[in-house]
Amino acid sequence: MEMRIRFRLNGVVTEVDIEPHETLLNVLRDKLKVKSVKYGCGIGECGSCTVLLDGDPVVSCLVMAAKVDGSEVATPDYIAQTELGKAIVDSMLEEGAVQCGYCIPGFLVTIYAALARGIRDVDEMRKAMVGNICRCTGYVNIVRAVKKTLKRIGSQTPRNAVERPFR
Amino acid sequence: MYNFVGRSFPRHDGFAKASGLAEFTFDIEVPGMLYGRILKSPYAFARVGRIDTSSAEALGAVALTPDDVPDKLFNPRLLSVEEDTYKDWRVLAKVPRYVGEPIAAVAAPTEDTAQRALEALRVEFEEIYDPILDPFKATSPTARPIHERILRGGRWVEVRNNIAAELRYSEGYLETEEERSSVVVERKFHVPRRYHTQLEPKGAVCKLEPDGTLVVWTTTQTIHNTKILISQVYGIPMNRIDVRKVPLGGGFGSSIHTNLVTLIAVGLCLKSRKPVKLVLTREEDMVHDHVSFEFYMRVRAGATKDGSITFGELENVIDVGAHQVQAYPILGTSLGWFISLYKWRAVRYYGRSVYTNKVPSCAIRGYGAPEITWAVETVVDELAEELKIDPLEFRLANYRGKGEIFWGQGPTVKSVIRSDGVPELMARGSELIGWKRRESPKVKTGRFRRGIGVGRGFHTSGAGGPLSGAIIDYTGAIVKVNEDGSVDYITALQDHGGGTLDAHAKIIAEELKIPPSRVRIVWSGTSTTVYDVCTHASRGVFAGGEAARRAALEVKKKVLEYASRILDAVSPEALRIEYDRELDDAAIFVEGAPDKRITLSEVARTAWQRNWGSISASVSYRATVAPPSFTVYFVEVEVDTETGVVRPIKVVAGADVGTVISPELAAGQIHGGFAIGWSWAVGDEVSYLENGVPAHRMSLADYKLPTSMDLPSDDDFVVVFASTYEPYGPFGAKGLGEAASNPVIAAVANAIYNAIGVRLYEIPMTPERILRAIKGGD
Amino acid sequence: MLSINAFNTYRIPQQLKYFKPGNLQEALEILESVEGAKVIAGGTDLVVDLKYRRVEARALVDISRLSELRFIKLGDGYVEIGSAATIREIAESGVVKEKLPLLAEAAESLGSWQIRNLATVGGNLCTASPAADTAPPLLAYDAELELVSSRGVRIVPLGKFFTGPKKTVIERAEILRSVRVPLTPRTYGWCFIKLRRTSFDIAKVSVAVLLRVEGGFVADVRIALGSVAPTPVRARSAEKLAIGLKFEDAVRVASERVAGDISPIDDARSTAWYRLQTSKVLVKDAMWRAYERFLGAGAWR
Repeated sequence: MEMRIRFRLNGVVTEVDIEPHETLLNVLRDKLKVKSVKYGCGIGECGSCTVLLDGDPVVSCLVMAAKVDGSEVATPDYIAQTELGKAIVDSMLEEGAVQCGYCIPGFLVTIYAALARGIRDVDEMRKAMVGNICRCTGYVNIVRAVKKTLKRIGSQTPRNAVERPFR
Repeated sequence: MYNFVGRSFPRHDGFAKASGLAEFTFDIEVPGMLYGRILKSPYAFARVGRIDTSSAEALGAVALTPDDVPDKLFNPRLLSVEEDTYKDWRVLAKVPRYVGEPIAAVAAPTEDTAQRALEALRVEFEEIYDPILDPFKATSPTARPIHERILRGGRWVEVRNNIAAELRYSEGYLETEEERSSVVVERKFHVPRRYHTQLEPKGAVCKLEPDGTLVVWTTTQTIHNTKILISQVYGIPMNRIDVRKVPLGGGFGSSIHTNLVTLIAVGLCLKSRKPVKLVLTREEDMVHDHVSFEFYMRVRAGATKDGSITFGELENVIDVGAHQVQAYPILGTSLGWFISLYKWRAVRYYGRSVYTNKVPSCAIRGYGAPEITWAVETVVDELAEELKIDPLEFRLANYRGKGEIFWGQGPTVKSVIRSDGVPELMARGSELIGWKRRESPKVKTGRFRRGIGVGRGFHTSGAGGPLSGAIIDYTGAIVKVNEDGSVDYITALQDHGGGTLDAHAKIIAEELKIPPSRVRIVWSGTSTTVYDVCTHASRGVFAGGEAARRAALEVKKKVLEYASRILDAVSPEALRIEYDRELDDAAIFVEGAPDKRITLSEVARTAWQRNWGSISASVSYRATVAPPSFTVYFVEVEVDTETGVVRPIKVVAGADVGTVISPELAAGQIHGGFAIGWSWAVGDEVSYLENGVPAHRMSLADYKLPTSMDLPSDDDFVVVFASTYEPYGPFGAKGLGEAASNPVIAAVANAIYNAIGVRLYEIPMTPERILRAIKGGD
Repeated sequence: MLSINAFNTYRIPQQLKYFKPGNLQEALEILESVEGAKVIAGGTDLVVDLKYRRVEARALVDISRLSELRFIKLGDGYVEIGSAATIREIAESGVVKEKLPLLAEAAESLGSWQIRNLATVGGNLCTASPAADTAPPLLAYDAELELVSSRGVRIVPLGKFFTGPKKTVIERAEILRSVRVPLTPRTYGWCFIKLRRTSFDIAKVSVAVLLRVEGGFVADVRIALGSVAPTPVRARSAEKLAIGLKFEDAVRVASERVAGDISPIDDARSTAWYRLQTSKVLVKDAMWRAYERFLGAGAWR
């Protein structure tokens, strides 16, 4: 009962055979071996599996893999290599925002998407992050890393490297 | 004063973690591996008959039943010495004693097949008993025994009235002290079971090497104890087991013991002779694997008119669930925390751990201290109020500080307090929160009311001590200088995320005067490290850091010896070592002789070229003291008196951790300690239905954790470090992790009282409970 | 043995077929002909239910990418929203913000950003949770639903759509095509508020209010609540008693009388007692906020 989907993953056109009951999380981790997308709850509550789907952050555990046929998907390992992603990661390291490290790739994706959309207000950023749960940091140093990134990028609106749907 | 200690450097694993490239247990794959699933008991108390595995096997799965694993009792937590280790666990249960207890397991080439095979297992239950869920009903003589007999070390002991362990203690003349008291306060407290909610669910991956060596990757705070337990249960020699260290996606106590999933994965691997991956889903982890202890406490304490504390009494009933992880030690530490908080002139303690048919309880951050501290700090606040003494003054006059005995982790772990930042933290904290503007709740009006509260606590730094005692606690470190002068640091000690190993690297760098980036933290396994008991008891920096420092010191001695040969000095003592900023290396030199100067890298290269041998050291270290790290938290909250909703306004968190090794990571521990404490105070709770199934709490949809909008913003969170120095710690440092969360419930509870004038003696203090308290329980 | 061993939140423990119809007609045909087929849009409720086996399905019919269902349109005297419009699209839509600010406010507060990017208004209504965030505002707006099947089209007022917790009048082979919201010619103040355990949670209690005041007297008030009855409900009796009163009196009366319009229960998120107490508070708070907005002329036309 396999089906084949074709989508752009981190800028690369990717074809993969999937089972219809698989989620995007399953296919990314188990078929395509993208392990930067973490499983934390499987029901959209923790945000550890956040990826960009056509430029928007979504919980990949609730997205059926079949749905992403023709879409653009970006994962934390790729985002960390983009210019904006690097600025966020550097700020995270400087501010001590990384502790156990399990939830943090999800935060990276959400913060990246929010900044790429032009959000500059810190409270708006905090609101944007409510779908990412962290048990280690109390979010304080994560918010500080966001502030530091805002300083780093200044007034420029970074290009979202993963915006347009791929059809 | 220091080159590196106290300065910020990016953590070594930061990029790997932020980008998601760091491999956790859940991410590990071995070619040809099978995927496991566990058959969990749907009944809280039953007896299993026949297990029909044929349909599962017909699907191509390997099935593991109780008959396939050694019928051996064990305790997953190897911390107490053998004769004090209570054993009542089996890998797979024929008599499941809680909903979710593993009965059997399957492994199959795909996850979907494993799931189908799991559902194809047929289990006959010979008997299904009514579960015993209430720890007070459990001890009735007519209650069915949950365990009839268990092993203590190698000896069978009868279990009476479902009491897993008991501890009584008294000192001083309580009756006399009570007579002397002008005020006495007695209160009962309840702390529910809570789920750790470490973000990574537990799991294990195992494989057999061609020579038969078993390699294991697993979520654990202790690789060596995991190795030992696997050896004990399966009878494999310890040098044939290599438990590899992998990043741990949060601990908080949930992997302080060897997870049952690890032993089941080993069983599947040994039976199938194939690599096996067995990871829990979130609901298995949270509903069926582990929770914290549940406490029912009664505290009675008195004080004289002039404000000196007289006596303290604590009755402490703990619901440990269906098996012991540390039913006895938790009673001892509870007593230790209680005794060490204040200078009681007389103490009486009765602690009882009780079996129930619920998921086993294990340690959670603080190991009883947050709970005991909440109860005591509440009663102390009430005593001060009755005596009309400022709560800060009352605390300063009565707490156990410098020169007093601190109990660390119970009666066998005592040490004298040599560093104490409490007065400083009280003074600075009260200033920063604006303690002077704090008003009595009686004068507050209006719908939204603010309150300020204080909580003072501490945690031990490890469980070391001058005598061997009942607890095993030592660690080790290997430091190796490579032939180019770069350094490898090899340790079994696990980092839960706090940055412990980065602190160690900095300590090594400080001792050797090389930049921390030159020290590589090597991810290794039990085969290539020396013993470390566990990352627990906030000992990582204090004990592990000191082991690393001592190994570095030995290495430094060798470096100086070789340098002295090269520089033609009269002896190594004639040499000095410093960090050379320009060369970004350690420079070894003779004072006043500019030509007598060489870098550590050159020394390493020369030692190699001239066949002098490797520059390395392997150290095993036992701390002889366990000093307390003090924390003083001031919290301001706002309560909506019409909805009962509480919101944090400001936090001033003071911590006395001796020398701060990594400021931003230490602050991160404090932020996180507050966050988990806040969550316990206002939200976390696991409760059960009558059949033993957790009520309404099947997932993170109903076990809600605070989000970035529910905790204080960074502008409202002030961290203060005391300027203390611990003579026994590496460069003066003490522990932190648990101290960071211990006084939080107390501070939040006292703040809520200060806002609304009503006290709650049960956590979580949900809006529902607060509103009821305000309305007087109509 | 089913029960706890049948759950799997990592992989959906059910074998499924997956259909991605090219248009609505095709979707209806699949739904009609394939046994055990369920409509999936955002998946934020359904995928969870599949993992927990609260829903057994044999096939999924994905309507999330159908352009026929993914629109927000301003018509003559109404706004029409396609059922596959995501909550994020609704929250950010200029038309919704201007014409249906109460709905925009509720949409903005639903779930997390990651959820809003997936979840759809159709899914939110058809799942029929008593706590559905888009329901109280749409009830207040007297929205109507257009249900289509191979047999034709029928219009159902939202007030008659829900029949119980997770139950609606929708039939197996029917698809919710759109939500039609009539516009009234006058200015209203609005407010949606809810209580929840954390900032990312399903409501314990939610209240939506539309309010029009003339000369200090309440000319019209519409109050709808979520999570306090088997379905999202309009507080008809409270509304009736409040209309015509001086605003301050109307607040008091509506806040007291709302108790008669709801029937809260104990569940994982809260207790019946608490819901009753706070429904009164939230009605009061929402009416005041709506009044402030009404006076501030940040109005709905």
